[in-house]
Amino acid sequence: MTAPRHIVEIDGLVCQVRGRTMLEIDRLSIAGGERIAIVGPNGAGKSTLLRTLSGFMLPARGAARVLGRPIGTRSRSRDLRRLRSEVGHVMQGLHLVQRLSAIENVLIGALGRLAGWRSWTRCYGARDVADAESALRDVGMLAKADERADRLSGGERQKVAIARMLMQRPKLILADEPTASLDPLAAAEICGLLAAAAQGATLITVVHNPSLLPMLADRVLGLKRGRVAFDLPLAELDDQRLSSLYRPDAQSVLPVLAGRTDQPTEPSR
Amino acid sequence: MTMAHAGRWRIDRIPGRLRFLALVAAYLALVAMCLATLAAEGELSMGRNPWTNLVKSVGEFSRPSFFDLWFGERKLEYRSDDGTLLRVENRREVEAKFIASLGEATWTTIRIATLGSLLGALIALPLGMLAARNLAAPRPLAWAAKGVLDVTRAIHTLVFGLVLVGIVGLGPTAGILAIALHSMGTYGKFYAESIETLDMNAVEAVRAVGASPLQVFFNAVWPSVLPQFVSSHLYVWEYNIRDSTILGLIGAGGLGLLIAEATALFQWGRLATILLVVIVLVSVFDAMSRRIRQALL
Repeated sequence: MTAPRHIVEIDGLVCQVRGRTMLEIDRLSIAGGERIAIVGPNGAGKSTLLRTLSGFMLPARGAARVLGRPIGTRSRSRDLRRLRSEVGHVMQGLHLVQRLSAIENVLIGALGRLAGWRSWTRCYGARDVADAESALRDVGMLAKADERADRLSGGERQKVAIARMLMQRPKLILADEPTASLDPLAAAEICGLLAAAAQGATLITVVHNPSLLPMLADRVLGLKRGRVAFDLPLAELDDQRLSSLYRPDAQSVLPVLAGRTDQPTEPSR
Repeated sequence: MTMAHAGRWRIDRIPGRLRFLALVAAYLALVAMCLATLAAEGELSMGRNPWTNLVKSVGEFSRPSFFDLWFGERKLEYRSDDGTLLRVENRREVEAKFIASLGEATWTTIRIATLGSLLGALIALPLGMLAARNLAAPRPLAWAAKGVLDVTRAIHTLVFGLVLVGIVGLGPTAGILAIALHSMGTYGKFYAESIETLDMNAVEAVRAVGASPLQVFFNAVWPSVLPQFVSSHLYVWEYNIRDSTILGLIGAGGLGLLIAEATALFQWGRLATILLVVIVLVSVFDAMSRRIRQALL
């Protein structure tokens, strides 16, 4: 039996934004089917890492290979677009087109596969519409398929975003703080949906709330100041490691994590 | 002072408060200066008999000419001093002809406003897109586009009209171009604002599924800006209807021409009729435009 192909391989990656180094990872490998959580204080480079993996950000130095496709300093936008159509990136915050209905937003997930005038006039084929409806059913939003996106609640919008991601049938799912600004019940629901969607695919989630980790991950990556602080299986993670990650050094003023059983206080942005 | 009151005069709030009071004082000083200097130059007078004149004008206006359609004399005789019959007029016919010409002038005004608005909207579209800050057009282009929009907004439609009449001659063409050039500035400003308030998160999310730039445009940008564009168009169109009514004063045709004639011949009754038509026209258009805009948003 051949070894599982690595979904993500990072080699000497350095990402900079406006001259500041946001991310510096020497070596990282993620195999297919793994479920990984990324934790760390704000500004640690978690979102930067996800954006690099989905081809939104070109590295300043080094290279990465995602789903067998190379990402380097000179990658072309056409190749990055093809990569993005295979990577399901659920972003944090409002990211639905407000004026379109839920089902139209879900159908946008198919755009990576379609081309031509049909995708400009939002005139989708019957097969795509059926897929969209089944995706909405999977997340429990079929009843509100024709509601305009700006009339849905935060949790409902997040579900529609996940349905849109399901349309892509991605092999790699990146979820950037999918439960931010959701109440605990909705947060648990969303995590359950993500875990279900990740069957047979690789899931990388950025989370702040350690109590959600068991639902989403087998392996935890801790980032601090753009570098990997630790890379452990979930079972080996303990309070001390986590709180040392969030503990302020001389320069930063982040509050200390009280412990895994309490909700961590979110530092104000 | 209690602690609550002391809070309102905290050190870090005082500069803001003083700044505001200083601005109010400066404004009042400006107003006082305007009044004082105008009074000193003797330019604030209201004429010799303002009240008598007012009463006379109100009297003349309160008998609009279209009453003559039903109540006018059918055989109005004009005689010279020694009794010779100069002319016989059928007031009802005369006024009926005037009403017909009024209808045609209204139609011309509507045509000038509609075509001028459309032309202005089309020219302003690329300029507005260049001027929008979040589309990151190259700096010199964005700056030039904004400059063109600001300058055309500063020059009044009538001024454009006067210049254009010298270029393309009298008639509605000058009016259409004048409306287009002046309202282009307003259209551009609205377009840029609509584009700037675009939800870039939604745009990014559509890019994240691997959509091409055209797909991103039609699926994320267009559905958001189109209703705003239509709404802006209706708003400026209604403004242009009002603007077009006086373009006739400088020779562009339409109601303005009739207004100029009536004023020049001191026919206040006719002026009253024309103004009534203008009021009805603008109100109807205003109501229609507001209804459609509410339905859109």
